[in-house]
Amino acid sequence: MSAVTSNLPQRDAFWTRVYEIARQDRDVIIISADMGAPALDKIRLDLPNQFINAGIAEQNAIVVGSGLAMAGKKVFAYAIAPFITLRCLEQVRVNNCMMKIPLTLVGVGAGFGYQDSGPTHHMLEDIAVMRAFPTIEIDSVSDSVMAADVAERSIKERRINYVRLDRQTLPDLYKTGHDFRPGLDVLRPGKDIMLVGTGIMTHAALETAEILSKKGIDAGVVDLYRLPVNAPALLNAVKGAKKVATLEEHFLPGGMGSAVAEVLADAGSTLPLKRLGLPVEKGYCYTYGGRDALHNWYGIGAEQIIDSLIGFAKG
Amino acid sequence: MSKTTAGSNSRAPDLVEKSEKLRRMTLETCIKARTGHVTSCMSCIEILVALYHGGILRVDPQNPQWEGRDRFILSKGQASPALYAILADMGFFDPKELEKFAQAEGIFGVHLQHTVPGVETTAGSLGLGFGSAAGLALANRMDRKNNLVVTLLGDGELYEGSIWETAMFVGHHQLNNLVTIVDRNYLCTTDFTENLIRLEPLADKWAAFGFAVERINGHDTDALMDVLGYARSRRSTKPLVIIADTVKGQGIECMANEPIWHGAAPTGAMVEKARADLERSFLR
Repeated sequence: MSAVTSNLPQRDAFWTRVYEIARQDRDVIIISADMGAPALDKIRLDLPNQFINAGIAEQNAIVVGSGLAMAGKKVFAYAIAPFITLRCLEQVRVNNCMMKIPLTLVGVGAGFGYQDSGPTHHMLEDIAVMRAFPTIEIDSVSDSVMAADVAERSIKERRINYVRLDRQTLPDLYKTGHDFRPGLDVLRPGKDIMLVGTGIMTHAALETAEILSKKGIDAGVVDLYRLPVNAPALLNAVKGAKKVATLEEHFLPGGMGSAVAEVLADAGSTLPLKRLGLPVEKGYCYTYGGRDALHNWYGIGAEQIIDSLIGFAKG
Repeated sequence: MSKTTAGSNSRAPDLVEKSEKLRRMTLETCIKARTGHVTSCMSCIEILVALYHGGILRVDPQNPQWEGRDRFILSKGQASPALYAILADMGFFDPKELEKFAQAEGIFGVHLQHTVPGVETTAGSLGLGFGSAAGLALANRMDRKNNLVVTLLGDGELYEGSIWETAMFVGHHQLNNLVTIVDRNYLCTTDFTENLIRLEPLADKWAAFGFAVERINGHDTDALMDVLGYARSRRSTKPLVIIADTVKGQGIECMANEPIWHGAAPTGAMVEKARADLERSFLR
């Protein structure tokens, strides 16, 4: 285990772990669509035969990466999140999902990570889109410890997975060595309402729960960090609460909240559920001034969430 | 109609004979199933025969997953009946499977499927196999393996932008252990390529991407063997592309060069007509 994964940017924790393993395993190959990072620079300089810059050609990164994987290589394909996912759907669908060729897509900039770059760089549909494909797993990373763990397990487990990394440095939620296999964790118990978050919104959920508790509402938090959802674990996590609310920085149709709704509905659960996320009716946003401004524009600012949840909890 | 290799004049009459046999097998497979891209198959028969029966590819029908095998990636996945016919003929699976093409009890359908013994990839969505081939060739280089990777692209497939992303990549990395063959039959689904969106000057395009270009008659097994024969031991660092000029529907005059026959098998009265055309073509 590495000692350098505390409160790092997720990207750096992820690539640092990949670097450590790649030094011992020359079958680990990184294809970058012209993306850099300090840890990637180390790979490029120290392990030049394991680093390929594909240029700004994400689709080719996927198909070439799949060819390398067919020959037994353990391949990471890296780009800004919308470009490694949405631009490459047909490649991923055929070359990976149909043929069951393992590959790890790494997208940086989940949600509004590229906050002031405008909507081309916002990643607001990836969970809905990627979870529509069989065999692919989504690792929706919420801290740097998890980022390093996902990197390691991507190599060991030879899965087809999409890793959505936040671009912003978030405080660590987990301790090194945490067992991430369940796909979700209860970070805080709560009897009145269980908040289910993913990625950065897990952090928002923790802050929200703290404020709600001061207002007499006992709110818990679940960090849902892998999809498809581990249904038994989720049902177990929410069973002690009276209501469930989901928080995501993603358009509502088909997102994490929808995935939670599917699990509850399929299990015949009658728990009231409220999904908080980006209303698709609002469309794309050209507002600048940071992530909070974007959240407010879409109605998921900190105070807006509190107001919605107080109404929901008491309704 | 372009000439097939005249059997009597060929240096390799056995390959010409194989081509005739494979044409019959492919046509009958599609007639029985009442589906399949017959004309797309007919344009690449000699190419496949040269690769497999000409001994270019090192493969083992008894052990399709043999580690030391060369890899053939059929990127134009609609030509699957032709490849299936060859693989059956070589013993990768029981030729009786061809009679169950696209049937509920069969092991394959209209487009190429990686689960069939001897087949490396699923294809049908165009423009993807070329990249897989590039990745395999790059892996061979990384692992210092001298295996060959050969991929067959359709010319209509060249409209996919991803083909040129891969071409740029292959040219830059000088993957000279990869052989790219373009089945240049000049026809797409609805029209001729030069009417749709011009592909020519095609050789210049590939050359500009850093490829060594050979342009040959793709129905001439001698010409194919001449250029493929030295593919494994090329001295050039440039990757090789072979533009094989072909006829879509070669050998079946009533279907050849007719856009309407794209993706179709003869039915009704056309069945005997197609068979008769094919037999007549062998006599030339």
